[in-house]
Amino acid sequence: MYKSIAKLTLLISFVASSYANASPIGPLERERAKTLNLILDKTISIAERKKKLEKSKMKLLDLERMTINNKQINKNPDTHTTRAFEDFDLTFLVHNSFERNKPLSITWFEKIGLTTDNIMNTRVSRR
Amino acid sequence: MKKNTIKLLLIITPNLFASFPALANVSGGDWKPQIVEKMFVLPPQHLNKVLNNDFKTSILASNLRVTDNKIKSKIDKINELNSFLPKASKDETLEIKHQIILNKRDYIKDMNNLIIMKRQKLETKKAFFEKIKNNIKYTNKNKVNQSAFLNNKSKALERAQKLDLKIIEKTSLNINEKSKYFKQYETNKNAIEKLKIAIKNHPMNEKSVLSNNSDNKLEAISNYIYNIETEIAVLEMKEQMMSYMAKIVALDAMNLAENVSGINQKLDGSFTSGENYNDPENVIDIFTKL
Repeated sequence: MYKSIAKLTLLISFVASSYANASPIGPLERERAKTLNLILDKTISIAERKKKLEKSKMKLLDLERMTINNKQINKNPDTHTTRAFEDFDLTFLVHNSFERNKPLSITWFEKIGLTTDNIMNTRVSRR
Repeated sequence: MKKNTIKLLLIITPNLFASFPALANVSGGDWKPQIVEKMFVLPPQHLNKVLNNDFKTSILASNLRVTDNKIKSKIDKINELNSFLPKASKDETLEIKHQIILNKRDYIKDMNNLIIMKRQKLETKKAFFEKIKNNIKYTNKNKVNQSAFLNNKSKALERAQKLDLKIIEKTSLNINEKSKYFKQYETNKNAIEKLKIAIKNHPMNEKSVLSNNSDNKLEAISNYIYNIETEIAVLEMKEQMMSYMAKIVALDAMNLAENVSGINQKLDGSFTSGENYNDPENVIDIFTKL
């Protein structure tokens, strides 16, 4: 009985603390992670990936707009939020892809340094 | 008649001196500005107007109006009584002078109340502007601390806004993928742009451009506080003026009391009897006149 009450208390405190520490850019980060997961997913076909990415991209665009226009985060921004706004290109991937006129996946690969040239150079150096 | 007047004057004279320190504690009602925090963002001149309108509906303002009217009626009464003096008989003159002194005393009382209320109004206004000044200073301090973040955010907003049109063009074919938020964003963005243009072209906008800047706003509010302080200083001088007026009325009352009792005080402080018809020496003229 006591053990179950202790477990319940721990669970409630964990849930409460996770809500208290929730970053205002959390939903955006989660959706971005899902999109990147989709880009790297090898189990689905190219056509399926394209279709899913298109849907995910629109959702991500909405979240990016919500985050950029959110005035509430101006007051006491946490470290995650501050860090996110320091790198616009990586945080707001969809906006960046529209800015560069390139697909979302290419934009992300290029931003983290995974270009064809870079990869080819890596192979050459191994020889 | 004379005895009654003397009694009355003897009661009035000490009261004149006693009433003024007590008046210092008189409160003319309350005024707590009912202005919500959101109004603080208004330009100072608009804020001042809102504050004045708020004051007009307060108990203090209605009390001020009532006292103001009372003062006007007292002055009219004093002028009216003064106009009766040249034609009045000796007894009537005494009574009129007595009435003048009473009205002057009431005028001073009311004027003192009015000054206290005006001071209360100015002090409340000053405290309100001080609060706004502190708010602006606090916000500015926070802005400095968050400036790097806010700078990044404003840059992000700028970049995103530049892309809005491009996004609309590029996503025109994805009608099915567009969310409710996406559609609402487009509609609201257009409405916001129209409103921004309307604000830019508004004739009153140019006037408030200077005061929208936080530094200018701080300066404008400091000016308001300075003006209020000068008004308080003027009121302090008026308070001093009122104390002198009260002294004059008290001296007038003492003089009248002496005239009525027939006792005159010499410059050295000794007393001489005035017109005392109970002494045969003073009525010789009446008997010797043919």
